[in-house]
Amino acid sequence: MTLLARGVFGAALLALGAGAASAQQLAPSPTLDAIRARGHLECGVHLGLPGFSFANDKGEWTGLDVDFCRAVAAAVLGDANKVRYTPTSVQQRWPVLQSGQVDLLSRNTTITYSRNATLGVNFQGINFYEGQTFIVRTASGAKKPTDLENASICVAAGSTEERTAADYFRERNIKVSIINFQKNDDAIAAYDAGRCDSYTAGVGALAGQRIKLKTPGEHTIMTELISNDPQGPVTRWGDERWQAVVRWVLNGMIAAEQLGVTSKNVEDMRANSKNAEIRRLLGADGNFGAMLGLPNEWMFNAIKQVGNYSESYERTVGKGSPLGLERGSNQLWTRGGLLFTPPFQ
Amino acid sequence: MTRYFYDKRVREIFWQVALLAGLAVTIVLVVRNASQNMVNAGMASGFDFLWRTSGIDVPFVLTSYTPESNILALLWVGVANTLVITFVAAIAATLLGFVIGVARLSPNKLLSGLAGAYIEFVRNIPLLFFVLFWYFGVIAALPGPRQSIGLFAVAFLNNRGLTIPIPTDGTAFRIAAVVVLAGFLAQAAIAVWAKRRRDATGAIFPVWATGLALFLGVPAVAFGVAAVVSAWDVPALRGFNFRGGFVLVPEFVALFAALATYTAGFIAEIVRGGIQSVVKGQWEAAYALGLRPNRALNLVVIPQAMRVMIPPLTSQYLNVLKNSSFGAAIAFPELVSVFVGSALTNTGQAIEIIAITLAIYLALGLAVSAFMNWYNARTRLVTR
Repeated sequence: MTLLARGVFGAALLALGAGAASAQQLAPSPTLDAIRARGHLECGVHLGLPGFSFANDKGEWTGLDVDFCRAVAAAVLGDANKVRYTPTSVQQRWPVLQSGQVDLLSRNTTITYSRNATLGVNFQGINFYEGQTFIVRTASGAKKPTDLENASICVAAGSTEERTAADYFRERNIKVSIINFQKNDDAIAAYDAGRCDSYTAGVGALAGQRIKLKTPGEHTIMTELISNDPQGPVTRWGDERWQAVVRWVLNGMIAAEQLGVTSKNVEDMRANSKNAEIRRLLGADGNFGAMLGLPNEWMFNAIKQVGNYSESYERTVGKGSPLGLERGSNQLWTRGGLLFTPPFQ
Repeated sequence: MTRYFYDKRVREIFWQVALLAGLAVTIVLVVRNASQNMVNAGMASGFDFLWRTSGIDVPFVLTSYTPESNILALLWVGVANTLVITFVAAIAATLLGFVIGVARLSPNKLLSGLAGAYIEFVRNIPLLFFVLFWYFGVIAALPGPRQSIGLFAVAFLNNRGLTIPIPTDGTAFRIAAVVVLAGFLAQAAIAVWAKRRRDATGAIFPVWATGLALFLGVPAVAFGVAAVVSAWDVPALRGFNFRGGFVLVPEFVALFAALATYTAGFIAEIVRGGIQSVVKGQWEAAYALGLRPNRALNLVVIPQAMRVMIPPLTSQYLNVLKNSSFGAAIAFPELVSVFVGSALTNTGQAIEIIAITLAIYLALGLAVSAFMNWYNARTRLVTR
């Protein structure tokens, strides 16, 4: 046996041994491996919805959904900027995810039963509690959805809003005309041009779209909601470890708010906090990151670079943003909202 | 054995069979591979979704579809709307194209210059621009429902469309339509009879005079009577908009106008080419036989020009059919808009829906081609 052959044999044995050892600890995650190999996260976002995912004039993506992509990139790769965004329309979002073009869809998309059951996708929690309503010209005098008798309503084709609105008015025997556009932007443009009396979407999306209108001040968003549209990040079926990573980054951002960890105090907390859950979350104790095959400072990086849920919310859609939305249902459960996270144990 | 090997016909058949078998194997492999991958990815497959309730409200429906109907009915709405817009746009484009094509050949410099400018303008601008221009142009130009332009207080034009009264019971109109159809058939019979008599005796029967009566007079009387005896559903302003009647939506108007004006530019060139292909000697020969100019055009020049024009016209009609899918850009509920847009994203059955849509466009396209080929064969030069 030559030296070279022995070397190759030895290397092969080592590789086999290492492979067997790691296989005992963690199930393989093709998605995580692919992200590490290419060096960035592929994230599917909205074509352009202020507050949720919107490219500013410098081409930088911002928004609540974009922040989530950044947090995942920070947790996996240690750098929130290592994300490539794929803007998707209502129609494109599923094929883009199903075909593996993106690792993750973070895109103002309602969680529904049939999507989960038939599209080969899984929803990894809720990052925005949304309800559908209508925007109208204030001058029209319409105050609630039932005032929309005989109105023309613009909507994005294939959205949950399209069917929810049709169901809502049919049940109440109110005749309306629903005009289905291929893109949200086309629908809002037609509403702005006077083709429709109203445009329907979630409250958050309406607040974001209103900024794009010619005279935002002349339009009112109705307060009465006709549906619950919880929204959150979406992954493909299969690769459970990757799904767990996505789910727990979201939980981690909410937990950080609950535990009082912010991007400002996260370093201090990691060094000095006595709270056991904070220490596990930030990688000061235990090997919580390594359990999922991530660096141990995964959530430390995410919180340091993106912030906790509250920081992200206020900056993108909340009081610190042009949308100015209240926290409402998106408040922690301890403060009357719906946000709740399982413990880091 | 070698005899067969060198036989040209046997070899041709062998390659045809081999190609067909290869194609069949490829299709089977693609379908099996796709369905296996979909099972692995947790995606539903099959055509059961067609019987699911659609739940989608469509603003322009010519069938008995309601949101409670199934997705198959929604597909039929898309097909019907595609056929209607294609049919009316193709006819309008042909008429407009003939006028512009003839104008292009006019000795009047201004007229032919305008026609030429129009043709160049249209042929160098993308169709999507036309569609959006007409759509937002139409909407922006029209007033809101409360300031509608009323036509005799029964029809109303506003930025939600043209609302016209419809009869609550269509029976009288159906009878009128049958009467009109009978008139058309009578005209066809007269034309055949007149041609035979002319061939036999040389006497010319005024076919156009009876045609005018049967094409305009009979429909006017029949529909007039039907309109008087029917009860009408007259639109009235209620809530945000007019209630009752039939609404011709601006999406329809914009797509129709865009397809007609765009395709007319191409048809005009075909008409010009067709007429120019008839040599001048044919005109001179027709005059030498004593034919008046309009008869020379109808009996000598147009029939010869048609032979050149029909094949390229066929492809223009196919273009109108395919281009009707631009309706998806402006929410006109044609096939692509309702089926690939709404139904696909609601059910997620991308492969099935795309396959059905492709099959339908293919079938419609082949039907248009078959009709035009039949017509082409009829008008072909008969050589003896």
